[in-house]
Amino acid sequence: SFMIVGVVDKGHKAVLKPEDKLKISENEALEILKAASHGCRLDSFEGSHAIVNGAQTAWEMLHDEAMLTRITTSCTDLDNILGGGISCKEVTEIGGVPGIGKTQFGYLFAILDFCINLELLLLLRGNRNYRIQLAVNVQIPADYGGLGGKAIYIDTEGSFMVERAMQIAEACIKDMLEYDGLLRKDSQTRHLKMQPKELLGNIFYFRICSYTEQIAMINFLEKFVSEHKDVKVVIIDSITLHFRQDFDDMALRTRVLSGMALKLMKLAKTFSLAVVLLNQVTTKYSEGSFHLSLALGDSWSHACTNRVILYWNGNERYAYIDKSPSLRSASAPYSVLYNFAVLCNHASRKLGEI
Amino acid sequence: MRPENLLELGATTRKLTLGCPILDRHLGGGIPCSSITELFSESGCGKTQLCLQLLLSAQLPASAGGLSAASLYLHSKFPFPSRRLNQLSHSFRGSHDPHDNIFVHPLHSAHELFDVLLKLNPLLTNPPSYLPVKLIVIDSIAALFRSEYDNNPADLKRRSSLFFKISCKLKMLAKRFSLAVVVTNQVVDFVESGDGLNGVRIGNLECVFSSGRRVCPALGLSWANCVNSRLFLSRNEEMVGEEGDVVDDGGSGVVSSRTKRQLHVVFAPHLPYSSCEFVIVKEGVFGVDR
Repeated sequence: SFMIVGVVDKGHKAVLKPEDKLKISENEALEILKAASHGCRLDSFEGSHAIVNGAQTAWEMLHDEAMLTRITTSCTDLDNILGGGISCKEVTEIGGVPGIGKTQFGYLFAILDFCINLELLLLLRGNRNYRIQLAVNVQIPADYGGLGGKAIYIDTEGSFMVERAMQIAEACIKDMLEYDGLLRKDSQTRHLKMQPKELLGNIFYFRICSYTEQIAMINFLEKFVSEHKDVKVVIIDSITLHFRQDFDDMALRTRVLSGMALKLMKLAKTFSLAVVLLNQVTTKYSEGSFHLSLALGDSWSHACTNRVILYWNGNERYAYIDKSPSLRSASAPYSVLYNFAVLCNHASRKLGEI
Repeated sequence: MRPENLLELGATTRKLTLGCPILDRHLGGGIPCSSITELFSESGCGKTQLCLQLLLSAQLPASAGGLSAASLYLHSKFPFPSRRLNQLSHSFRGSHDPHDNIFVHPLHSAHELFDVLLKLNPLLTNPPSYLPVKLIVIDSIAALFRSEYDNNPADLKRRSSLFFKISCKLKMLAKRFSLAVVVTNQVVDFVESGDGLNGVRIGNLECVFSSGRRVCPALGLSWANCVNSRLFLSRNEEMVGEEGDVVDDGGSGVVSSRTKRQLHVVFAPHLPYSSCEFVIVKEGVFGVDR
């Protein structure tokens, strides 16, 4: 079965809004795609070639930035509490103790972001109830390249390891192949021409070694992003490290941090980026006892739009939405797997955690 | 500001062999360069021996898993274990005297450590040895902080601040000169406190045991945020032999105990949890496949 989620006229203006989802038959879908293909540069439309190209045009429209507002974490439970995934126009902070998986999320967003059919990965996970924004079952081109976004990874900790990123990239491509196989109705299985190296090649990696470099980097981001419009995600791992030393002037530190926060929020909004900040955890003394809290203090806690805290619950890892303008506080379990970055628990039990 | 090309970094991060293929396998090849790896354990578990082994393996060529490099050994425990280093050197397969490529510097305080780091550039850019310095070992970091700081919030905050200062400086040097940095740490007894924060779980092991008692790495949560990878060396007595195996005059089975030593990956950005049994023999520290 097919579902239309949007239609454009020749001027690429949306005629039908995503909310007006219609259930149609395969023939109807093909007719519509034929009509859509009139708008592209095809001279004739014989056979499936034209349909595929028509689909590509419609596909490009559907993947217009304005429509893609969330990036999946690839973990259904986590996506559900996040309202679909990490927001593409806001700053999200993810904090937790060492070893809980913060950097793994960093890898995830840097690599998955490039795979256009993010939501379709969820189909693979067997979750068909999930509200998929681009619920299309039409034939999709085997060539996935070019429609995905790029990522900026700012590494202040020195935790980025190429081999781990490659591992995750390979797993991501394996998923895409699986999906490709599931969806292809004809006998010709076109090979996914993407190599893990390509995914890595789409990450702009910056290594930052001091707080002055970090400030300069964040100031530089606007220029860089305006020159690289295909960047969809900015990850900073971690935002905290270089600010936890003693500053002679703590008021200055607070001002610098607020300035950073404002710049990042503006960046997210202006360029429709998902900005993900990884943060450390410290102990804070309040109300007579010590608690775990995200580092950088109270003033910083007002700076981020969304806050997710990763924590251990017995032997399981959990993510908790601590702050969000639109989401309720809720927890969801996740796992870090050797052959993938992050998965929700029921899937990891099926695959067997290493 | 220009981004680095990830594809030019090579398929894997450069690693320094531990001198044993079994141990290396559990660590994805060895100790990673441009990174800080912490080794913590009770005293007498083999930390220093493993460090001395690294001082030697660093000098091996890349084909043997080494870095073709000299090392700097900063020690806060005295005396420097020269006898053991000599013993391990006998198994060294290189052509030169390995002592020529090991620089040793004593440390008496955390501030002294920071001062040494600030003045390290000349040694790293223009080493007096034939080989460049690519490994820094700090044995141990805990000892440097024990005496100067008390257990009150103000002192702990000052101490924590110094952790980050030292760590950031080390990471900067590690990045700039592609150094492998190994830091050893000690353990403290786990004491249940009302807020439950003393045993806040960090990494793959919910509880850390050694010599049959529950312990935690020293220096707390702050320091844990300062290292990229953390490895734990445990030592526990294990009963071997079952009843009926060997029968003594009294008719009951003989049970004996042996020391079981294990290396655990507590956290690492590139490794899953794993543990590996190892032994300490005259030739060094080696993993065993059991």
